[in-house]
Amino acid sequence: MPPREVDLTAVGPYADHLGDGLVQMSFTLPVPYSLAARRAALELAGAMGFEEPEVVHYEGLTEGYTYFVMYGRATRTVDFTALSQEGFDIEYMSESEIERFAESHLARRIVVVGASTGSDTHSVGIDAMLNLKGYHGHHGLEGYPCFETHNLGSQVPNSVLLAKAIEVHADAILVSQTVTQQNLHVHNLTELVEMVEAEGRRRDIILVCGGPRLTNELAKELGYDAGFSKGTYPHHLATFIVRELAARVAAAG
Amino acid sequence: MLLADLTASARRLALVGLAKNTGKTVALAALVGELDAQRRTVGVTSVGRDGEERDAIDFRIGKPRVHLRARSLIATTDALLRDSGIPHELLEQTDVRTPLGRVMIARLLGAGRIEVAGPSAAADVRAVSDAMLGHGAEQVLIDGAIDRRAASSPAVADGLVISTGAVLSADADEVVQRTRDAVELVRLSELHAAARASVDAADVPRLILGDGSAVDLPPRFVLAGEPGALSALLDAHPSVLRLFVPGALPEAFVREAAVWARRGSRELELVALDPTRVFLAERGPGWYAAQGLHLSVLKPISLRAVTINPLAPQSHSFDSAALRGKLRAAIEGVPIIDVLHPQYTGARAPAPAVS
Repeated sequence: MPPREVDLTAVGPYADHLGDGLVQMSFTLPVPYSLAARRAALELAGAMGFEEPEVVHYEGLTEGYTYFVMYGRATRTVDFTALSQEGFDIEYMSESEIERFAESHLARRIVVVGASTGSDTHSVGIDAMLNLKGYHGHHGLEGYPCFETHNLGSQVPNSVLLAKAIEVHADAILVSQTVTQQNLHVHNLTELVEMVEAEGRRRDIILVCGGPRLTNELAKELGYDAGFSKGTYPHHLATFIVRELAARVAAAG
Repeated sequence: MLLADLTASARRLALVGLAKNTGKTVALAALVGELDAQRRTVGVTSVGRDGEERDAIDFRIGKPRVHLRARSLIATTDALLRDSGIPHELLEQTDVRTPLGRVMIARLLGAGRIEVAGPSAAADVRAVSDAMLGHGAEQVLIDGAIDRRAASSPAVADGLVISTGAVLSADADEVVQRTRDAVELVRLSELHAAARASVDAADVPRLILGDGSAVDLPPRFVLAGEPGALSALLDAHPSVLRLFVPGALPEAFVREAAVWARRGSRELELVALDPTRVFLAERGPGWYAAQGLHLSVLKPISLRAVTINPLAPQSHSFDSAALRGKLRAAIEGVPIIDVLHPQYTGARAPAPAVS
């Protein structure tokens, strides 16, 4: 296959060759494991707009439920050139670059307090970002000499998180939440922002949220300075925090 | 009465929704249209983002877009300004950075639709609002985001419009109850004048006792809210009249104060700076008052109107007139409006309850 120019105005999925549109997807249907279930999955994929849908694996998950892995050919494309202007396109620094940047621009340790707030019991995201052990061989902020981290764990009330942040003079607060279409989780995230405002600290503290569905657009609506989602490594977060803090220090003169 | 007339005297007007999809942006669009017809120059900013095509959480929900006429002022990010394709005059480049880019203040030189994403922090919202007034805006509209209230603080805005709607609950009575609680919170009364001197300028929580003396508390006493600490403190000062809180007042703290008041059949007043500093999700101020715990503020909010969206996207809907009727019966003294209802026109007389 000769190399081909990517048409950025019509970008589609890619598997074996450019433009093939091939998508692998998995889902569960609430029907018993059967040939009829397989048929239902094929019809559903067709209704979703996939051409040549194919079930490559299916199995009974539990009584009355069937799990599928499918291929399909997507026919729609997006215009990437119209999207790439939006928001930041950050160039991330490596760990040693972050250290050097912090040393030359800030000359002090950066204090970060993190927690999973409200009723959210998932602390895996916070642990991956903050703890020494980190994630996929990238250790967390605790392992950076320029950061001082406080991981408060999960199910932390917003008021308690904020009280701790003020006590330790935090430069940044990191919260992780699994945002669902129910308003509860969103409310937890906005409540923290509102409390920081109520305490008159909004300009002093960088607010970062993380979670599987968080985008910069949603972070903006929620009132955060940044939102990080799946695929984020600790050095991405660290890059944002050191740069933002340096910009604030510079702006404050 | 038109929304534009109800809100005309608020030079900086905040619009806040009680949740996503309560029709706040629809209310904003109606207001912009009315001001346009009156040939008034508006400035628009948003603490979130507005005029986006798709909901950031539920992609199935299309969002209304805001159409601005030429000469309107706007505070939005550099990228969104550029992407709008509307010719504009750049007035100020601010130091405010958002996840969607740096905030600029511009005057539109042509009409069009534009996505608005201004500063998030209340102090920055106030700064860009004042800048737009300085550049000739006659009124600045500050659109809120999700359920965020900080921009409705009297430190930022001169008036407030609340949007509520079917999305709050499938039960209309629940929608009414939650709206009434939110309105009660926004309309917390002002601390009476004679008591002001005892709390003004306090930057730590402060107890005011029956003999007029004051006891200052540690800075994070209220926020950290160690269980039992408040009850022990109040027990040690049985003549306490009120407790002033200079920052956030979380519900857990309010709850403990209410339990203490009810248990001793006492009356206690909690005083906050303004309603945006008070965090109540479980119960409204009326319920706490019945327990003997009264909430008041140093600076009240001027609530101008409540708008409703009788439709919950992808879910249920109510009859607009019926829902407005229920809300009027539960909430006195503020116009309840559905800007999309065919009967909403400038000619219609205000509801009898409106003073």
